[in-house]
Amino acid sequence: MIKTFVLACLLLSGLITRAQYPGYTSLPHYETFQKAFAQATTATESIQADFTQEKALSMLSENLNSTGKFWYRKKDKLRMEYMRPYAYIMILNAGKIFIKEGQKENTVSANSNKVFQQVNRILIDCVAGSMLDNRDFQPAVFESSASFLVELKPLAKNLRELYKNINIVIDKKDYTVHTIEMFELSGDKTVIRFQNKIINAQIPDSVFNIP
Amino acid sequence: MQKIKTDESCVLLFKPDFVRATYKISVDVVGKHISGLLVMKQMPDSSTRIVFTNEMGFSFFDFGFLPHDRFMVYQIVPQMNKKALVKTLRKDFDLILFRSMDSSKYYALADSNLVYHAFPQSSGINFYITDTHCSQLIKMQRSSNKKPVMEAQLYDGSGGNTPDSISIRHLNFNFSISLKKIPALAPQ
Repeated sequence: MIKTFVLACLLLSGLITRAQYPGYTSLPHYETFQKAFAQATTATESIQADFTQEKALSMLSENLNSTGKFWYRKKDKLRMEYMRPYAYIMILNAGKIFIKEGQKENTVSANSNKVFQQVNRILIDCVAGSMLDNRDFQPAVFESSASFLVELKPLAKNLRELYKNINIVIDKKDYTVHTIEMFELSGDKTVIRFQNKIINAQIPDSVFNIP
Repeated sequence: MQKIKTDESCVLLFKPDFVRATYKISVDVVGKHISGLLVMKQMPDSSTRIVFTNEMGFSFFDFGFLPHDRFMVYQIVPQMNKKALVKTLRKDFDLILFRSMDSSKYYALADSNLVYHAFPQSSGINFYITDTHCSQLIKMQRSSNKKPVMEAQLYDGSGGNTPDSISIRHLNFNFSISLKKIPALAPQ
């Protein structure tokens, strides 16, 4: 009897503590979503978009806003070019990370820093649609009339030390990523929103070139 | 250099204002380079919070410089959470924020061009170096009991203003921090 009660409490607390999002309902069996999402992302060879990024520092009541351009090409090529507040370029290509900040250029192996590698994998997974397969996270899927919300709870210890969860909002109409929200343990969050998305545009190799 | 009789009040006139400022930060440490945004903000309890994030929003640290020379680490990534590094950063920012200035221990040294306003710390000394008339803050310096270990400069803004840029350079190992003020980051 006690065992049953404890089990019921645990199940109930699990249901209650699972984050709820206004306008969204939980999708406990998300195989249909997963299948449709996989189909859509299989057909996505490239994405080009503008982005806005908002870092909210909760305790300081401050927001840091950035804007830039984003390019992704299957399978692991990514370029984020910040225009504002200052020029900054990050390119991921074949396991290497290239960073240009002002006159400074720096190329490092993604493998040399595990956390950096994991954070970059999150970005690639989010846009490539493979986040449900990433074993570093426990996913949960929610649905609204216009979009899906994939909540990723970190399982890996080093990611749990950094993020409470990462949410990805996906447009229902084309299954592309609309927003990535990264919630830190401190209460701070970073929100990246993609606009003017062009799917399967021809993106030249030079965009991802690492000198 | 010889000891001269003066008081610390002229140094306090150079104290910069960090009510709210965002800087582009570049850090070079033993061959590695990291960059991002550094937010400095005075809080209602008169503490100063300093938050360092990279361009993609990933937070490296969030420090609080509290009244009565107290210090708080609100958040720090495990890779930077090293006692020696935190202590060094705390001392560096203490110097720039004009903290740990115990007037009872204050003394000044002078040569023909400069006055070294000295504020002894629990270990080492913080110097604020001015011209002989104390009309200009030339630089700031942290010293061990034997030699200078760090130099910092404020450009275009001290004495109640927010500096346009700040440089911090360690003399005993390859570690430098450069800060350049970013105009208000208003939402678009």
